[in-house]
Amino acid sequence: MDWSALSLSLKLALATTLLLLPLAVLLARPLAWSNFVGKGLVEALVALPLVLPPTVLGFYLLLAMGGNSALGGAWHSLTGRTLVFSFDGLLLASLIFNLPFAVQPIQRAFDAVPREAREAAWCCGLSSWRTLWRVELPLAWPGLLSAIVLTFAHTLGEFGVVLMVGGNIADETRTVAISIYDRVQAFDESGAATMSALLVAISFVAIASLNMLTRRIGKGGQDTGHEL
Amino acid sequence: MSSKSLSVTLQQTRPIPLDCTLECAPGELISLVGPSGSGKSTVLRCIAGLHRPQQGRVECSGTVWFDAARGLALPPQQRRIGMVFQNYSLLPHLSAADNVALGLEHLPAGERIEKANEWLARVHLEGLEQRRPNQLSGGQQQRVALARALAREPQALLLDEPFSAVDQVTRRKLQQELARLRRELAIPIVLVTHDLDEARMLSDRMVLLHHGVSLQSGLPEDVMTRPANAAIARLVGLSNLFEGRIAPPSVTGMTRLESIGLQLEVAHNPGFAPGDKVSWVIPPEGILLHRRDRPARGDAENPVTGLVADCLAFGPYTQVVLLPEGGELPLSFSIPSHVAQRDGIAAGMAARVTLLSQAIHLMPPEKSD
Amino acid sequence: MSDRPLIKGWLTICSLVVCCVMASFCSAQTAPTVAAAADLKFALPELAQAFESASGRKLRLSFGSSGMFAQQITQGAPFELFFSADESYVLMLQQAGRTVDAGKLYALGRIALFIPNGSPIQADNNLRDLATAARDGRLKRLAMANPEHAPYGRAAREALQHNGLWELVSDKLALGENAAQAAQFATSGSAQAGLIPLTLARAPELVAKGAFVTLPESWHQPLKQRMVLIQGGGETARLFYGFMQTPAAQAILVRHGFALP
Repeated sequence: MDWSALSLSLKLALATTLLLLPLAVLLARPLAWSNFVGKGLVEALVALPLVLPPTVLGFYLLLAMGGNSALGGAWHSLTGRTLVFSFDGLLLASLIFNLPFAVQPIQRAFDAVPREAREAAWCCGLSSWRTLWRVELPLAWPGLLSAIVLTFAHTLGEFGVVLMVGGNIADETRTVAISIYDRVQAFDESGAATMSALLVAISFVAIASLNMLTRRIGKGGQDTGHEL
Repeated sequence: MSSKSLSVTLQQTRPIPLDCTLECAPGELISLVGPSGSGKSTVLRCIAGLHRPQQGRVECSGTVWFDAARGLALPPQQRRIGMVFQNYSLLPHLSAADNVALGLEHLPAGERIEKANEWLARVHLEGLEQRRPNQLSGGQQQRVALARALAREPQALLLDEPFSAVDQVTRRKLQQELARLRRELAIPIVLVTHDLDEARMLSDRMVLLHHGVSLQSGLPEDVMTRPANAAIARLVGLSNLFEGRIAPPSVTGMTRLESIGLQLEVAHNPGFAPGDKVSWVIPPEGILLHRRDRPARGDAENPVTGLVADCLAFGPYTQVVLLPEGGELPLSFSIPSHVAQRDGIAAGMAARVTLLSQAIHLMPPEKSD
Repeated sequence: MSDRPLIKGWLTICSLVVCCVMASFCSAQTAPTVAAAADLKFALPELAQAFESASGRKLRLSFGSSGMFAQQITQGAPFELFFSADESYVLMLQQAGRTVDAGKLYALGRIALFIPNGSPIQADNNLRDLATAARDGRLKRLAMANPEHAPYGRAAREALQHNGLWELVSDKLALGENAAQAAQFATSGSAQAGLIPLTLARAPELVAKGAFVTLPESWHQPLKQRMVLIQGGGETARLFYGFMQTPAAQAILVRHGFALP
């Protein structure tokens, strides 16, 4: 059992979820309620990580963040560390490849918020931000919960992109998924088996609790309409 | 118009055509009526700031809320309005008190709760402050919506078909509530409704909207019994609509109208001269049935004899359709059911009615295509 | 506002997370990372352990194909010491200015034919049975490392070409991303034979799973295994580099099946 890999995975998943959630809300809002030029394009871009093979994503991320790139160079001069093969780079990659998992459930939940509820809030004098906080988010909470759980679970399980962008560096980028791969190659089947079982358990518990929570709290008169 | 009134002019061609002008003084309740699709809700949304028309101007209490020429369009938050939606739009995750307090964010927390409870008491909902909307009946929810709109002390109150989603009995009660409340409010109130009776009951003035154009504005009685033209007459549901021609005046100086085989005397109308073609209309309440056993003096006014073509009892009132002798088109009117029973009115029998000359309303002729 | 406690709670959690992440950075920075060719998978942990007992300093080990590590180091990967299974990668990095110097040869690599238990193929050191099995269909899959970026894969290909077997088996290959993965394929039951590093074939973990024969080194270009310090490395890496040249370290290497240069 590679405890440092587990702690690294949990850190990555937690950090990604916390940072991505507000970003996803800001992105999902106009996608749900405005009609702007290029909206279809933005939606397609957001959905891209769902369909692209992780190696393609990893390849482009490596290109964009590598030591020879503008971004990588800037990061290096700022912090003295590389962006690739580091936790920071992994976090950045994680924010990108989790985008659809965070944005889409929130967008669907926002879609379900009746327009009149927002209009009523505006007519009561609530600004756009206050309306978001007091009306839109409380009514869209199942979508937020979905986004949190999906992002968390997906980050724990991501492999291809992590391997390409992070390498396999202990305490830095060796997540549980990578560690399992590593253990298999080291002929440590029991180690691999333990960690695999743990990941399955965590993912299962996450999704089961999401369904349960959504259903139970959702029974209080609100329509949730969302299940995995 | 005093500076506290609401004055609205709106024009647009897209997405639906609009050409509407209205004024509402403080303390006045005007109703916006018209068939569905006539743009009434759109007009209200323009006043609220939820929709931005291509051209126009909205001003209330001296503040300009919208002026297309100057490119000024205040968002709803910056217009002090109270809006009641058709489907209440109460926030399901907040209690009644919290819903009412939604518009009171500018007050400190303690004052907010106090005011919210105060308003809920005013709409007779004390004791129900902590209930969620799904624990309240339709009528109660609408009262909360009303309290929410008014708690902010808005400069104008806008109601979008507020009573159409509730049952008849509740609707009556809510209408009475509104009628009572408005006596204490010194702000312009605009009520959108498709129910002409409701408009008649509640509003001081009625604005009739059709295809986005404001056709006539005036006292409800006037709009409904003295429409400006035949099209409006149809919109307000007047069925006794006919064409006719002005004849030379009678010996008594009254204007005479020839129509549907009848010779009628009508009140003098300087807008029409002998020989003119006119449209005319008479509301059902302008037709009085003669009692066969007890003739009255009034029977001499515009008497019309005919045959009852149809007699339909609608609860306390009975609809009668009369085919005038020598006439081509039917007249419809209503009488209390007990009178119909007493006089034994039935289809096929002869009857005599008086057309009150004061009730006959002349209008320009309809253009024939 | 009833929302204040909620916002406060959320912000507290966020700052806690950020602090934890930051803290973990600080602690993880000290142990240097070592990139090592996969054939050192069993030898290097023992060497690192010996080094730690002697000096009290820790190392972080990463195993993979030499070519992949060379790529990553070119991209700026923060390894401080690189054990390559083929010196050409080290020299390439030196020319790119990534290394301190040209490094040092630490071992010579050998390949072995590994036959897992239950395989219908015989282990003979001139690959005769392998050739027959390829023709008569007993051989369905042959595991080896990817010749494109793993030196042991290149050596395996050269050995096969030397015996005129390359065309015969080239459509039956199961390519491992590195030599250790190739060994893993060979033992997984999905390949009937494998060409893997001798050091892995000899390891206790594999010995129980099959039989092996060492192949002559004349069949391939020598696997000159070179180690080198990467620019920007720290003292621990330098000390380990030195340790690797001590007799104690060399004894461990020999015990695992490496030939000294």
